[in-house]
Parts: sequence; C-alpha cells; structure tokens
Amino acid sequence: MSILLENHIVELLLERDDKAMSLLYEHYGDTLLGVAFKVVRNEELAEDVLQESFLKIWRNSDSYDPSKAKLFTWLFRIVRNTAIDKLRSVNTKSDKEIQIDVSDVYKLGTEGVNPELMDVQDNLDKLEDKYQIVLDALFFQGMTQQEASDELNIPLGTIKSRLKIGLRELRKLYGSFLLLASMLHFL
Amino acid sequence: MKEKIKNFLDTDLLEQYLLGTTSKEETLQVERYIAMYPEVRKTYIELQENLEMYAKQHAIKTPDGLKDKVLNQVKSEKKSRRKFYMYAVAASFTALIFAGASFTFWNQNQSLQEENILVNNKIESLEENMRIQLEDVRNQFIVLNNPKTKKVAVKGNNKAKELKAVAYINPVKKLSYINVSKLPNLPEDQCYQMWAEVNGEMINLGIIKEASDSQKLMALPYGENAMGYITIENKGGNSSPTVENIVANIRY
Repeated sequence: MSILLENHIVELLLERDDKAMSLLYEHYGDTLLGVAFKVVRNEELAEDVLQESFLKIWRNSDSYDPSKAKLFTWLFRIVRNTAIDKLRSVNTKSDKEIQIDVSDVYKLGTEGVNPELMDVQDNLDKLEDKYQIVLDALFFQGMTQQEASDELNIPLGTIKSRLKIGLRELRKLYGSFLLLASMLHFL
Repeated sequence: MKEKIKNFLDTDLLEQYLLGTTSKEETLQVERYIAMYPEVRKTYIELQENLEMYAKQHAIKTPDGLKDKVLNQVKSEKKSRRKFYMYAVAASFTALIFAGASFTFWNQNQSLQEENILVNNKIESLEENMRIQLEDVRNQFIVLNNPKTKKVAVKGNNKAKELKAVAYINPVKKLSYINVSKLPNLPEDQCYQMWAEVNGEMINLGIIKEASDSQKLMALPYGENAMGYITIENKGGNSSPTVENIVANIRY
C-alpha cells in the first residue's frame, strides 16, 4: 500500500467521509476477507465478519491513531478480533450443521483465492510449512507464543525462532515482489 | 541496555501488541519501548510490514455485491447516526424545556404554598374573630332577653350633659353590657374612655368611638357592686382614669 494512498484514506476516515470506506474496501477488502477466512474457516462467516468489521471500522474511525500503528495493522486487529468473536459465538452454538458447513466451504474458500495474487500464492508455498504453521497460529488463530507452543507441541524457543526466521524468509521471498506489485497498482 | 532490549524482544509482547492483544499495562510498556528504543521501533515497523505482506498472500477475492452491502450498511449507519444526533438535539431541547418548566412549577408551587399558609392563618384568625364575636353576640342576646336583666339608664354629669347611655346588667349570668347612644362633641385632641372598677381594681375598657359605637353594646367585666366610669381623656386614651374628668358613672 502506497504511503500516499494510505494517508489519503486516513485523512478521509478522520474527516468521517464515507469515501474512505469505499477506498478501504477496494484496497484492503480482499486481504481482510482472507484474514477473516483464516480465522473462521468458512466463507459465509468470513463475509459476515468483513461486513461487521467495516461497520466497526467506520464507527471507531476516530480511535485510529496513525502514530501508533499502520492503517493495515489497525484494520487487521479489528477484523481478527471480530472473526475470533464470531468463531466463539458460532462454537458456543455447537451446531453440528455449521461444523459440516465449515469444512465444506473451506475448500470453496481456497478455490476462491484472488487470482491476481495467484503468483504470490505459488510463492507462498515456498515458505516452509513449519514457518507457516507458526505464523498462522500467532497471526490468525489468536494464540500467544506459549499457547502456540502448547498447541503445536513445539518448544517455546522454537516458536520464537520460527516466527523470526519465517518473517525474514517471507520478506526475502515477497518483499520485492509486493513492492513491485504495489507500485504497478498505482501507476 | 542492549540486554534489556534483547530481553524485551525475546518476549512476545511486541507481537501481542501488533495483534492488539496486550493488556492496558502491557500496551503502555510496549509503547514506551517503541518510543524510547529505535531498535524496538524498527522491529515493530518490520512486524507490521510483515503482517501486511503475510495477510496479503492469503487474500480472497471478495464476492460481487458484498461491497455494496458493506457500503450501504455504513451509509445507513451514517444516516441513522445523523438521525440520532437530531433526536439527541431534540431530546436535549425537550429536557431543557422540562427543566425550565419544572423550575417554574417549583417556584409557583413554593409561592402557592406560602400563600396557602398565609390564607390558612387568615382563616384561623377569622374563625377566632368570628368565635369571639359570636360569643359576644350570644352573650348580648342572653343579656338583652333575660327577664332578670336590669336596664340602667346612664346620664352625663355637668361636664357632658348630653351623654346618654344604657347599661344592661344580669346578676344571674354575671354579664354586663353598656350602650352609649349619645356623646357630646369633644375637641379634636380629646376622647371618651370607658373604665370599670371591679373588686377594687380599675380596668381600662378602651376608647369609645361615638359614631361607630352608638349601636354597639360594650361588654363590661362583671363584679358585685362594680362601677363603670366614662372619662374625658387626651386623644389616644389614658392608662388610668383622670378622676376630675369623670362625666358619667354607672353602678351595677
């Protein structure tokens, strides 16, 4: 995301101009839907989460402090929390049908991956599973490092190092690509 | 110092902060570290970039129609919020009006209560007056109608020859009244005053106002062998009778 565009959106957001929401959706919609899906593992639920999140983004736009977090970080937090809440509320219903639904739609979801990002998706496979699992657990599944260690049966030190190395690898693999992609996007 | 930063980075506080899952105290701690140490700041910025990058790789194409749904929801929220503000403003006005009205009513109530006390007091004193007057009238009636009542005509002495009065004395009921029907004119600075000597005690019965009192019966305190006197006194009356100015006396 170009800093210029990000600043523009933030400005609109702080002015409570609803054009900001349209721009946010255009530039972050796919990514945020992906985040929601990563947590809830159900396309329909993920769309609900996205919708609820955008309402929260709009309602809480005055609470965004650009000096404390990048715009995406703030958006990510909202979507992730909304998704985790959604998952909890669905799980407490303990509805078997929803459980089946979840596994069905999961496949649909992966097929529905943004074709524009298919190249990236291919590249993503190059990031070793052991790093991805750790990154997913920490970023999407709402686990602390300790919880991830317990859940994945991996020592805490290993979690820490895999996170660090995973992120470094990620940067190496896609940093240049994303930079190029975002430059192309705004040319 | 390096050690401190390293220790901090070894915890997952920065990652937790990135995801927005730190407690209030932790958040403050992390923000302090970010502000103070460039190394922490750099790591935080990198983490944010990594997160965005990582998330982008899991992007899913949003389905058609979802955008409109999302934006319409925001728009209706915006509208309803505007409506809410309008309602809020209206409610505030209403509240203000109510407050004003309440204050006015309270004030009115307060002054009405005061008036009520005043009126009650007036009624009480009126009742008391009526009671006294009724008692008086009743006594007058008793005296005037009782066959045992003695009627004594009173005439003025040399100093007031025209003075005429009638005294009614009832020894059974122990009630006495006097009606002064005619009084000679007096200079402006003088007046007639009525007295009664009962059991050796001189009682001031007040000033006789000719015009209004001619129809009226004045009660006399009763006593065996009492004496009534009318004297001429300086205007305003006297506290004890001036013996040389006695114009009439009534034995009753």
